[in-house]
Amino acid sequence: MSAAALPKLRDLYTSESGQIRARFQEDGDGLAAVRARAALVDSIAQQLYATYISAEPDSAGRFCLAALGGFGRKVLFPGSDVDLLFLSADGRAEERFKPGIASLCREMWDMRMRVSPTTRSLAECGRLYRDNLEFNMSLLDCRYLAGDPQLFARLHDEVVPQLVVRERQALVQNLAELTRARHAKYGQTIFHLEPNVKEGPGGLRDYNVACWLAFVAAVEKRSPRPPAGMLARQLREECLRAFSFLCAVRCFLHYRQGRDDNGLSYELQAEAAAASVGDKAGSGMGPAEWMRLYFRQTRSIDRTVTQLLDDVASARSSLYHAFDDWRSRLSNADFRVSHGRILLRQSSAMEDASTALSLFEFVARHGLKISGDAEQRIEKALPLLRERLLALAGLWDRLRAILMLRYAADALRGLHRTGLLTVLLPEFHAIDALVIRDYYHRYTVDEHSFIAIENLHRLREAEEALEKRFAEILAETECPELLFLTLLVHDIGKGLSAENHVAGSLQVLDPIVARLGLEAGAADTVRFLVANHLEMSVALSRRDIFDPETVRALAIKIGTPERLKMLCLLTYTDIKSVNPEALTPWKAEMLWQLYAETINYMNRSLDEERLLPGQLPVNDARGHAEPADKRLYEFLEGFPKRYLLTHSAAEIEVHLRMATALAESPIQLSLQKHSHLYALTVVTLDRPMLFATIAGTLAAWGMNIVKAEAYCNRAAVVLDTFHFTDLFRTFELNPSEVERFRNNLLAVLGGELSLAALMAGRAKPGGMRPAKITIQPRVTFDDHSSSHSTLLELVAQDRPGLLYHVSSKLARQGCNIEVALIDTEGQKAIDVFYLTLGGAKLDAGRQKALLDALLQDI
Amino acid sequence: MTKIEAIIQPSKFEAVKDGLQEIGVDGMTVTDVRGHGRQKGHTEVYRGREYTVDLVPKIKIEMVVPDDLVEKAIQAIVGSAKTGKIGDGKIFVSRIDDAVRIRNDERGQGAL
Repeated sequence: MSAAALPKLRDLYTSESGQIRARFQEDGDGLAAVRARAALVDSIAQQLYATYISAEPDSAGRFCLAALGGFGRKVLFPGSDVDLLFLSADGRAEERFKPGIASLCREMWDMRMRVSPTTRSLAECGRLYRDNLEFNMSLLDCRYLAGDPQLFARLHDEVVPQLVVRERQALVQNLAELTRARHAKYGQTIFHLEPNVKEGPGGLRDYNVACWLAFVAAVEKRSPRPPAGMLARQLREECLRAFSFLCAVRCFLHYRQGRDDNGLSYELQAEAAAASVGDKAGSGMGPAEWMRLYFRQTRSIDRTVTQLLDDVASARSSLYHAFDDWRSRLSNADFRVSHGRILLRQSSAMEDASTALSLFEFVARHGLKISGDAEQRIEKALPLLRERLLALAGLWDRLRAILMLRYAADALRGLHRTGLLTVLLPEFHAIDALVIRDYYHRYTVDEHSFIAIENLHRLREAEEALEKRFAEILAETECPELLFLTLLVHDIGKGLSAENHVAGSLQVLDPIVARLGLEAGAADTVRFLVANHLEMSVALSRRDIFDPETVRALAIKIGTPERLKMLCLLTYTDIKSVNPEALTPWKAEMLWQLYAETINYMNRSLDEERLLPGQLPVNDARGHAEPADKRLYEFLEGFPKRYLLTHSAAEIEVHLRMATALAESPIQLSLQKHSHLYALTVVTLDRPMLFATIAGTLAAWGMNIVKAEAYCNRAAVVLDTFHFTDLFRTFELNPSEVERFRNNLLAVLGGELSLAALMAGRAKPGGMRPAKITIQPRVTFDDHSSSHSTLLELVAQDRPGLLYHVSSKLARQGCNIEVALIDTEGQKAIDVFYLTLGGAKLDAGRQKALLDALLQDI
Repeated sequence: MTKIEAIIQPSKFEAVKDGLQEIGVDGMTVTDVRGHGRQKGHTEVYRGREYTVDLVPKIKIEMVVPDDLVEKAIQAIVGSAKTGKIGDGKIFVSRIDDAVRIRNDERGQGAL
């Protein structure tokens, strides 16, 4: 081609480029566009090579032109660099063609191509460039364009494969490190409000990394070089679909921006959705739905590259191997741990639903990843598992075990990835990769739920002072598993066409709890938490949290301290998991203050919140029937309202029966075991020293009281409930001792047996573990919270017999315990007593005497 | 041009923002702050530990408005943020010499 023909070549390039763009805008096929563009640039480069370097391309001895990188892969985006390699057999040829190389490149620049030329000898191409690994990687995609074909064949078939085999470890490790560093730059997540289509995790660069890693593995197995196209076939089909989608998106961005700009901004997301970019069906989806499609594609690439990178870990340092050897000791009868991955001992293991769940429990316990092979076996077994999983006995127990473990979120992600989560919870499919497009929610709804679970577990490792306060609340929560389940399902409604997402989540909750087999009380709690999961957020942003009326209204709405604790933690993790910056220290502190004010109100307002005639029943929502007879009214009258909220209808019926039976026997006892705690309920008429006597008898038997309540109704009927642990397993190992304990207690309460004598022979507290932390005792009085009583709050180091000592002191000072709320948090006892003396509050002198007496003893 | 800084209760922010937008004030800078004036703080006890709420959470809104909007803006803030109780907040008003729009060097009121 003569120099005179160059303007025609420029025109050809311009017009062909325009046609490629027009075709893309018409059919949206990004892959076809980048292939067509690569073919066009091939043709231009070959013609320029003939013009400036050799008119007979095939015989340009010992010199040739090759395409590298994306251009080499025939994936040339409109704004991408055109990577060219001028390859010489030795330095002499390079010198000879230098002016021609310059002219060729200049001409391509003038056509507005971003040429990136490299000139190397064959020997140089065989070296590893540790500081320029990109060049080595780009050689993996080299493709012949013009010149000496034999020279290129030596590069392609000998030099590159030999380099790969020789430097496999360095190449792969460097590539893995570069990829991990890139992922770290993007916060290790595919979820960004404005993702980068090329560099972000799950983006096109990751697709290339997957191809390179697959290539290196293939070269090791086959010698010489594997055939072109083999790599793509090794990747999962969904990964290839994702690549095609991302090609369309990147083409759209380059054409739209006129340059190599790969940022998918908020505005461009709307434009891409309107243009149905990557959506071959042209279904006209909105921006949120289109971003859902986008995240599903990137998720698939991210999954592939993550698995391949994990495989690379086997070639790490000896220190890593030492650690890995240690981890391999975690192997058990079903699973083997190797290189940080869980492998199946039997290939058919995943056809058993119980073993499949055990695999995810193993993940949740140890934080290990499942091998690609094991995941594929689960996917293959999915049709069988669908029926077997739901027929599995104790489904909730199995899910609970996973939810409660440190790496629950990883296990849930695995369950979701393999399709098992939607077998357990088909409702969860509604929020699969669902995007809330409001420039605030960074993660898709499913990922938000997993991150929330992760954040709640991380709270147990809190180091920062404010976080530690929330961690303490978590430690006090009695049923954290319900909180974790709530976090998993609380936003499912966002994927449903309901009035609002809370209503939607509630709609699907009943089938979920029924399928899992939750007990009625637990299901009630989850329902309450889902229904109210925005309450504290709303109070923070729209109410004055220092207004007592705000606190009172919230306390009444929530009802019990246990529910408040769970709701507070739910709010904390829900906000924290919207985006990394959503929960500012300012907001976290406000939430904690709202919590503290509300729980203090709950504990200090029992006197003011009593059940009075005309207020019964208080809470129909908990299923309490309209009181059928006068006896129930009389029994409830005067109890704090909290009594109705903290006891089920069945428990209240039992208590009523005990109260009714007082006519036959003056002391009614009930002793039951719930989980690891025993619950002792005593119903009798009020008398001095009653609470202290029961506490003392329990202490004499070596029981450790962890929680207690004491209520008294208008008719002076006392209902005392003590939850205790059996330190010496007396009841468990000697069932007959249960009856002897009952008789002992009845005898002490009936005055037939001396408590002092019983206490004298009691077991010494040798069974208690030595205190790990020191709690400074603190006693405070509050005369303002109750109009009838003085509140005494005591915080002290827990020990067996503490409650007996405290309540005895109160009794000896002549105090009447109107209400008692006893709680234990680790080794800290937290007791609140509502005290009266002669029907009135305690005067200052009595408070001082009580304070001295208590501090002397605790 | 006048700069208005308003320290308000967090719960009143949405109402104040809507009120300002209604009179044509669209641009504002909002910051989560802590502080106290006469409201002071108070001491609470939780689980035997005393904590002092001496700096209460507030929201600071800053805006620069043309002089003819100043009184309307102040009234909009007061109207939306006032409860009549201690702790409602404060408004500070100060003169501004100049404003520059960084994008195009526009200066003065046109840059607002």
